[in-house]
Amino acid sequence: MSTSLNSKFVEISHLVKEYPNPYGEDFRVIENFNLNIKQGEFISLIGHSGCGKSTVLTMLAGLNEISDGGIIVGDKEIDGPGPDRAVVFQAPCLMPWMTAYQNVMLGVKNVYPHATKSVQKQIVEHSLSIVGLSDAMKKLPNEMSGGMQQRVGIARAIALKPKMLLLDEPFGRLDSLTRMELQDVIINILAEENLTAMIVTHDVDEAVFMADRCVMMSNGPKAGVGEIMEINFPRPRNRQDVFNDPMFFRYREHLLAFLEQRSHIKGKTRLHNHEDLIGYLSSEDLKSLEAQYQD
Amino acid sequence: MKNPLSYIKYPLLKAIDISGLTFLGPVVRLCYGEEPSVQMKKIGQWIFIPIIFIILFLFVWGIASEKIQTKSGALPNPTKTLQAYDSINTFAKREKLKKEAYEAHGEQREKLLTKAQERLAEIIPQAQAATELVTQEKANQKVKLASQIAPIKEEYKTSKRAFTESQKQRQTQLDHTSKKLHIGNEEQYQSFIQSVKEHQSQTETEKSTLRSIKIKIKEIENSSSKKVEKALQLQTIMAEEQQFLKKQIDQLTRDNKSLKVESEQLKIEENFTALTQVTGKEALKKAQSIVKTETRLEKTKASNYAKPSTLWFQVRRSILCVFTGFLLGSLIAIPIGILCGLSSTFMAAMTPFVAIFKPVSPIVWLPITLIIASGLIPDPDQNPLMKFLWGLPGELGEFKINPAFIASAATVALCSLWATLANTALGVASIDKDHLNVARVLKLGFWSRLFKIIIPSALPLIFAGLRISLGVGWMVLIAAELLSSSEGIGKFVWDQFNNGASDSFAKMIVVVFVVGVIGLILDRIMIIFQRMVSFEGSAATI
Ligand SMILES: Nc1ncnc2c1ncn2[C@@H]1O[C@H](COP(=O)(O)OP(=O)(O)OP(=O)(O)O)[C@@H](O)[C@H]1O
Ligand SMILES: [Mg+2]
Repeated sequence: MSTSLNSKFVEISHLVKEYPNPYGEDFRVIENFNLNIKQGEFISLIGHSGCGKSTVLTMLAGLNEISDGGIIVGDKEIDGPGPDRAVVFQAPCLMPWMTAYQNVMLGVKNVYPHATKSVQKQIVEHSLSIVGLSDAMKKLPNEMSGGMQQRVGIARAIALKPKMLLLDEPFGRLDSLTRMELQDVIINILAEENLTAMIVTHDVDEAVFMADRCVMMSNGPKAGVGEIMEINFPRPRNRQDVFNDPMFFRYREHLLAFLEQRSHIKGKTRLHNHEDLIGYLSSEDLKSLEAQYQD
Repeated sequence: MKNPLSYIKYPLLKAIDISGLTFLGPVVRLCYGEEPSVQMKKIGQWIFIPIIFIILFLFVWGIASEKIQTKSGALPNPTKTLQAYDSINTFAKREKLKKEAYEAHGEQREKLLTKAQERLAEIIPQAQAATELVTQEKANQKVKLASQIAPIKEEYKTSKRAFTESQKQRQTQLDHTSKKLHIGNEEQYQSFIQSVKEHQSQTETEKSTLRSIKIKIKEIENSSSKKVEKALQLQTIMAEEQQFLKKQIDQLTRDNKSLKVESEQLKIEENFTALTQVTGKEALKKAQSIVKTETRLEKTKASNYAKPSTLWFQVRRSILCVFTGFLLGSLIAIPIGILCGLSSTFMAAMTPFVAIFKPVSPIVWLPITLIIASGLIPDPDQNPLMKFLWGLPGELGEFKINPAFIASAATVALCSLWATLANTALGVASIDKDHLNVARVLKLGFWSRLFKIIIPSALPLIFAGLRISLGVGWMVLIAAELLSSSEGIGKFVWDQFNNGASDSFAKMIVVVFVVGVIGLILDRIMIIFQRMVSFEGSAATI
């Protein structure tokens, strides 16, 4: 594998999304969105509610039509959804009439149609054990907690052996303890399988802790990439270490500042505590912030 | 240590919930000693109050039946209806016994025969006693009535005498006045007219008084006493059993299948020995007779006891018919409903048909389906399909499925399929978009998407539709059978309507309950199915 291919495993260029508007001009949500993702990289996508994060992610998943521009994944222009880009939805979206095992098997059967029954069974059992559900395989969704259901959703995604994992606010509906557990689950999986991943989140801590790069989206309509922040924690990551690292707070505050500022530009929020934040930011960061603040 | 019974508590409660017999829940909980006061309240509400209202209903029914007089007698009261139910059952039982008698052979036949004869011997004196009792009770009644009537008759006589007397008096009075009238005195004439009027009205009142006394006497004469009625009933029961036993004995002797076969075989043998002794014309005649007997023997061997249809037979046939129609309708409705749900284009294409055909009444469909069915099967006796169906073993063959049956089933299908169609389309169209997205990510093919995701998620609504369809079908079927004279419950009602026997009215009331109970059971079965395919959060509500 050449390095050039490696650094441009996913290439999103001049992406545009327009939703039809029956009472006027089409509603242009995304405009000129550009992003390259390296193989094995973990991207977090953060931005204000309604700016179009889910729209970008679903377009990458192939579930949402692309209005203009293009997305290339692994040398191929994407055309519709596929098991190479597995999605974990915000709601677990399990089939309520199937057990955890059957829900995972549904995709496995389809992606490995030629594998023997026992191989298929192994894949399913393995992915369920990775998310810690070895004992709950026979359970129906309504017999499981929200966290367990989301674990099944993750197992279903990784059982497909995808090249990419797309997560749209996967832990949005879970309590913080479960959320942390599942974050670790995902991080371990990604480390093991060397998967490329993108996570949409509202949680600044999550965006910093999990990702290699954090993509901050500008506000819609006509949203694009506002800023990209590299997060240089070593992998595998340990929660304690990361949270105790002073850089963690820098990254965090930078993100918050970005979001606050965007709210300010939109003219919607209360006075932000810009002054309080400055102490945490490097001079470079401050300069770039000031520059943005001016225009 | 836990009581072993405690392990079945929750499974039991769950089974009760699924079967929909929710009123049993509190009873079970009470038996386990769970919050007795709460359970007692629930039992009061769901068991005692319905029972009280049922009793109230029976009471009102009993009173109403006395008041409502029709040409076919009074509206049957609960007791009469129960008796009619009994007589339906007895009839069914006896027909079964007669059939057994017809088919009995060898030792068993003899056993049955002795039993029947013994019973007959036993019953004859009893029947005579019953007849005597009737005459006696009638005589008793007459005497009793005579003593009741005597004083009224006396009253009638005295009143009549008194009235004639007073009439005479008034007459002479009037005569007297008429002679004293002054010509030209209008006032006097007016008052004369007045007195004539009074006289006439008085006479009228007296006549009506006499008439009412007469009616009273008639009423008493006609009033039947409970004792007489009871005696009559007993007499009928005895007579019926006697008749049945005679018929049964016939079936065991004269009409018995094995005996007939035997005697025909014997005849053939005899004729054959006779045949071997002769030649020429005589021989031809004998041979012909042998051939004839042989064909008759074959027929006898293949014959069945011609059982007149009992209500239970007709109920079973109706159930078969309703399921045939229901299955037919569902086989049409579910695929079309799925297509409608999947494709809005197809839905648009089907909408006019659904809109136009849905409101059509079974009464309109039936003649059409009858014509078509009898057009397709003009000669049922020669039709291979009919022959095949009639040759089926057991009761399926006995049902004698005919074009009228097919027409009734088709009518059921045509009237019942709409609920399933609409619900299936709704179920498929309202599938969770997220589930479809999952299917797209997993790249499921059309068929696995259909069978793994779309149909399972639509199943609760499909079953809700099927349940409505079966209910509609059951209602439609009875009407269809009544009109098409296809053997079944509808036909039974029609026969009773035309029959005019003393208890046919009561039998019709029995049918009301039979139809209702079967409809209830069918509905319950569908509810159980519906609950089994439902999952939490599914759209179907029960
Ligand atoms: N199907 C649609 N038709 C029209 N407009 C849509 C459609 N889906 C989304 N939008 C609009 O596009 C914009 C972006 O939506 P999107 O769901 O991508 O936002 P988001 O960033 O994911 O928000 P959130 O953080 O709340 O999930 C919103 O303004 C939304 O109103
Ligand atoms: Mg979103």
